[in-house]
Amino acid sequence: MNLLSLSISHHTAPVELREALHLSNEEIKTFIEGVKGKLFSEGLVISTCNRTEIYGLPANESINHSAIQNFVLTMKPAPAAKSENFNHFLSYDAAKQLFKVITGIDSLLIGDNQIYHQVKDSIHLAEEMKFTGFLTQKLFDAAIRTGKRAISETEISEGAVTVSYAAVQLVEKIFSNLSKKTALVIGAGETAEIAAKHLREKLIGRLAITNRTLEKGQRLAESLQARIIPFENFKSQLHEFDIIISATSSEGLILTKDEIRSAMKKRNFADMVITDIAVPRDIDPKSKEIDYVFYHDIDSLNIIVEQNLAKRRDQIPRVEKIINEELKNFFDWYHSLEVAPTIKSMRDHFENIRLEEFEKNKNKFSIADQEKLEIVTKRIINKILHQPTVELKKLTEGENKHDETAAKVGIIREIFGIDNSKAEKEK
Amino acid sequence: MNPAIDFLNIFLPFTYIATFIIYFYDFMRGGKHFVNSKRLFLFLTLLTHIIYLILRTAEFNHPPITNVFEIFTVLAFSISFAYFILELLTDIRGTGPFIIIISIIFQIISTLFIEDLIEVKEILRSNLLGSHVLSALIGYAGITISAVYGLLYLILYKEIKLNKFGIIFDRLPSLEVLETMSFYSAVIGFVMLTFAIIIGIIWLPQAFPNFSFADPKLIGTLLVWILYGVGIITKFFGKWRGKKVILFSIFGFVLAILSTLLTNFLAQSFHSFY
Repeated sequence: MNLLSLSISHHTAPVELREALHLSNEEIKTFIEGVKGKLFSEGLVISTCNRTEIYGLPANESINHSAIQNFVLTMKPAPAAKSENFNHFLSYDAAKQLFKVITGIDSLLIGDNQIYHQVKDSIHLAEEMKFTGFLTQKLFDAAIRTGKRAISETEISEGAVTVSYAAVQLVEKIFSNLSKKTALVIGAGETAEIAAKHLREKLIGRLAITNRTLEKGQRLAESLQARIIPFENFKSQLHEFDIIISATSSEGLILTKDEIRSAMKKRNFADMVITDIAVPRDIDPKSKEIDYVFYHDIDSLNIIVEQNLAKRRDQIPRVEKIINEELKNFFDWYHSLEVAPTIKSMRDHFENIRLEEFEKNKNKFSIADQEKLEIVTKRIINKILHQPTVELKKLTEGENKHDETAAKVGIIREIFGIDNSKAEKEK
Repeated sequence: MNPAIDFLNIFLPFTYIATFIIYFYDFMRGGKHFVNSKRLFLFLTLLTHIIYLILRTAEFNHPPITNVFEIFTVLAFSISFAYFILELLTDIRGTGPFIIIISIIFQIISTLFIEDLIEVKEILRSNLLGSHVLSALIGYAGITISAVYGLLYLILYKEIKLNKFGIIFDRLPSLEVLETMSFYSAVIGFVMLTFAIIIGIIWLPQAFPNFSFADPKLIGTLLVWILYGVGIITKFFGKWRGKKVILFSIFGFVLAILSTLLTNFLAQSFHSFY
């Protein structure tokens, strides 16, 4: 298979360059329109914050990685880009790279299953743009299947690997049902927003936001259907919350141990989880000395993150096993698309149909006629198969492209159901 | 002598140990490998145990509740059976090894010391005795499970407080679940002990001429009962919660064990039949 792949990722390029070469959905569409028919006959473009990957079957034999690379750099000029910032893959390695990407083992956050959805979306976009064909469609189906298997058959995506998610995982180790709990998020920056979103995803009962700049807090509160508490008042309401997540950019402490103790007294020492994701810290770390206060700062959350990442790394060999199985299946199918075996399979397939019908009906004829019937049916089959056989043989002559041949062969096998009847027979 | 009973008596600790090993292995490996087969193992162990108890009852013509070692085997069964039901109802499967190990201890002691008693005092064949002992046993199984979940709560509480995110943190259910399970088990234990005490107070003075309210077992059980009662009421009215109630439950369990051991092996009591 003549699949080409070009990859720029966290393995090969700094974030500035990855940002410079990032393609939005609109840009991907423009890119596909630009390469379709000229550089690639069919293909796929994936672009996330950590990588841009381009896969495709070359439109003609002169197309190579440099041609694609030059096209990318013409569309998205990046003077800092050097050839070592691009990884090139071909055929089996290109397919393997796609499978590694979709399973998340090539991601910065190993096992990040967001990439699975991003690749799926990219495939849908390629389909929408009619940039997929018989071969790539099979390849992408195999890739999606591989990604699904990696998620369901291994623990590659399990456990929190971001500080904000680790905070929520910790909360779930204390409370069994978050829908009955109340949470306060202090701050309205990116970290606070992610933490608040995670709490919403976990169906937190009541969510409140407080922030020094009221307007910014209000915006976040509105987007998450949360209550906004003016920053000056939040301390007097602290006892109402089971979960407090703080992520402000304050230079000093905003909550002291005494303030927390007083809130705990008001709530009769019901469990309170405090996660301080801010650097420098917002909440007095001595609060952990108070009974039923579960105080955790960024360092302790990082312990969870590191442990989960280590567990995910242990899962890589299991994912690689799945990748190898799926690659083998895909290439076994691909190699079945060669012309000579297909002609034989096609003839066998029709001969079997003829024989089956002959056996079923021969008793309706006299012994003498049965012989004639056999000759006639054989002649009909030969006549039907003459033209397809000639056309198939033509594919092997001249300068026919291998992938185009494979695609045509594949279509013939599919419309006549050659592989299906073979599989049924094997069963 | 019944060879089937003798065989099952020796075989039972091994089945409990095998079940414990599979639960423990699954706990250590993350609960995915034997998630259903471990439950089947426990079921088969309980089935073997119930066959053993039926055979004993039929062979010796009395339910196996006439001495402490017979009671221990029933207690081993009750604890694991209660856990089995709890696992089915809550689908929390990670706490099995901590409960099954208690059954192993009771069953091993029973296996080593149990005797084939054919002749038992007529008084021990009473139906009221059956109800009295059965409710007491379920009560004890309840408070044992409550203590185990309480202990797990304390361990997890400490691990989270100290930022230790190891295997205990990974595998155990949340603190809230552990607290709830400990509390509900204690409530069931308390209710059943209440039945046992009521039946005992009605029936014992008639059955035993030397009955005395100063009997050490009676005082011990009453103390355990009061302790659980106080714990449950304070928790119910929201006065106490978390560690305080859990510590009460564990203390109650220790007191119950001490009371049983002291009255059965040391003190002279009408409650000692062995």
